Amino acid sequence: MLKQNPPALRVEKRRRPLNPFVLVVALSVLIYYTLVGAWPFIYNIWLTFRKTDMITEDKFIGLRNYKYLIGDPVFWKSLWHNFYYLGVMVSVGIITSLVIAALIYRTRGAMRKVYTAMFFAPVVTSMVAIALVWTLLYFPKIGVFARVLSGLFGISTERLTFLQSTTTALLCIMIMDIWRDTGIRTVIFLAGMDEIPDSLYESARIEGASNLRQFFRITIPLLTPQLIFIAAIYSINAIRVYIPVYMMTGSPPGGPANSTMVLTLFMYLSAFYGMRFGYGSATAMVMFVILFGLVLLEIKAFQQKWEY
Amino acid sequence: MANPKGMNRYRAVKFASKFSLHLVLILGGLLMIFPLIWMIVSSFKPSLEVISVEFRFFPKIWTLRNYSRVFREVQIGRGYVNSIVVSSAVTAFVLLSATASGYLFAKLRFRGRDLLFFLVLASVMIPPQIIIIPLYILINKFGWIDKYQGLVFPFMMNAFGIFLMRQFMYGIPSDLIEAARIDGATDFRIYFSVIIPLVRSSIAVLGILIFLWTWDELLWPLVVVHGNEMKTLPLIMAHFTQAEQQFPGESLAAATLVIGPILVVYAFFQRHFVRGLSMTGLKG
Repeated sequence: MLKQNPPALRVEKRRRPLNPFVLVVALSVLIYYTLVGAWPFIYNIWLTFRKTDMITEDKFIGLRNYKYLIGDPVFWKSLWHNFYYLGVMVSVGIITSLVIAALIYRTRGAMRKVYTAMFFAPVVTSMVAIALVWTLLYFPKIGVFARVLSGLFGISTERLTFLQSTTTALLCIMIMDIWRDTGIRTVIFLAGMDEIPDSLYESARIEGASNLRQFFRITIPLLTPQLIFIAAIYSINAIRVYIPVYMMTGSPPGGPANSTMVLTLFMYLSAFYGMRFGYGSATAMVMFVILFGLVLLEIKAFQQKWEY
Repeated sequence: MANPKGMNRYRAVKFASKFSLHLVLILGGLLMIFPLIWMIVSSFKPSLEVISVEFRFFPKIWTLRNYSRVFREVQIGRGYVNSIVVSSAVTAFVLLSATASGYLFAKLRFRGRDLLFFLVLASVMIPPQIIIIPLYILINKFGWIDKYQGLVFPFMMNAFGIFLMRQFMYGIPSDLIEAARIDGATDFRIYFSVIIPLVRSSIAVLGILIFLWTWDELLWPLVVVHGNEMKTLPLIMAHFTQAEQQFPGESLAAATLVIGPILVVYAFFQRHFVRGLSMTGLKG
């Protein structure tokens, strides 16, 4: 008796008319994300257990793709480069734009708009195009940067090979990437700074706190949400980065001698150049695990209450 | 305070700090825009002058030869057409699907809604480059290699866009929708004549973001475009990167041409542009 549902409710539920809008939209979302989200993801996992070149027949090889990956020095190199990229982008990227935002914050009126526009200008470009421009600026020995550096600091132009040296290539790429996005970060920080009430600074001034002290004790703590947001976005971007590396290292990308190889390119090259699609899928899974971990970390950071 | 000498000194210090502040900002700002100015100016130099032992900022001879060569020999015009078709199509599909499903998830009730939203949310966690191999297999099966369909399909819906629109639509009062429903409007009708007009500025923000992302997409076109006909602008630029030492002038002309449309979009939608980018940053 008790287990049976009340019949009246059931009838009411059935009588509810089917909404065609819901049907059309929900169905297309379902089909699309099954086809372009769920299915490829599951298929990718399945591929990691197989050896396939898309021409000859597939073969199940168990965990061997992962085993090869662990034994591949280029994979470890790429992984390290991604984390190196993450560290530099987040730290140097945040510090430079924080300083610039603090400086622009002290200006008013038209000049403030001019400065913001100047620092924002590189954002209004295409990464693909601007990376190509920087490759030319980095031209070894007789390029613009080489000339300026040797003129200012007297470094021998013979040593200024930038992208063609295994020790400086990745650094040069990161400098370009930091330059490009400085404007966005600055604008985000500026917006945050504008929301800090002036009364806080005034009372600090009355108590005799120096400008520097005010910056560290008031500005930075109150910018915590912006800092977390930017750290979150740029750490994910650093794990996924490939355009600047591809565009600035020519053929084959990731050079010289894999000194700029990153995971996305490593995956792309193994799959579409090396015809080792299973191996590429395994690399993609590693990237997924890292990104997943980062996202979980960030959700945790966002959920924390930041009060001062 | 009563000491005028001290007052003057105070003013002098204040002026000096203001002066140095502006000096630092001007120098920094010039440094920021230098690569862009250099790109534009040098695109009018003959290739031999772009990279040469003798350095000069402005061209000795201004020439349009780089531009004419880029149009005649690399067929950047075709790249333009392809990029505009693909970016506009992707933007249109994303805006349509994101607003419709944003409305669906924010304001309508149906069975399995949470499960479906979970599917979308999970897709945010899977950037295209992680599933690029299965996607390539799929597109290959469909026979869409070297076709617009192949370039557009994986980007037609955007989980981030759906999520964003859903957030915006929570802000629309439900009374408004109920009132329209009582007047006998169907959900299609409500979507087109109530919802869309209310989220116009959000549509502009999302549209700009999607357009920029698609305009700069490199990996997917590398995978699905094999011939010359369907090359998008990033692929044409990628060509130059392998030969930039031979064609510096042409590279700079092409780069200027690729950046041009973005500047136009920026000029028209400056406010939305800044808002959108500070919401998400740029894609790597």
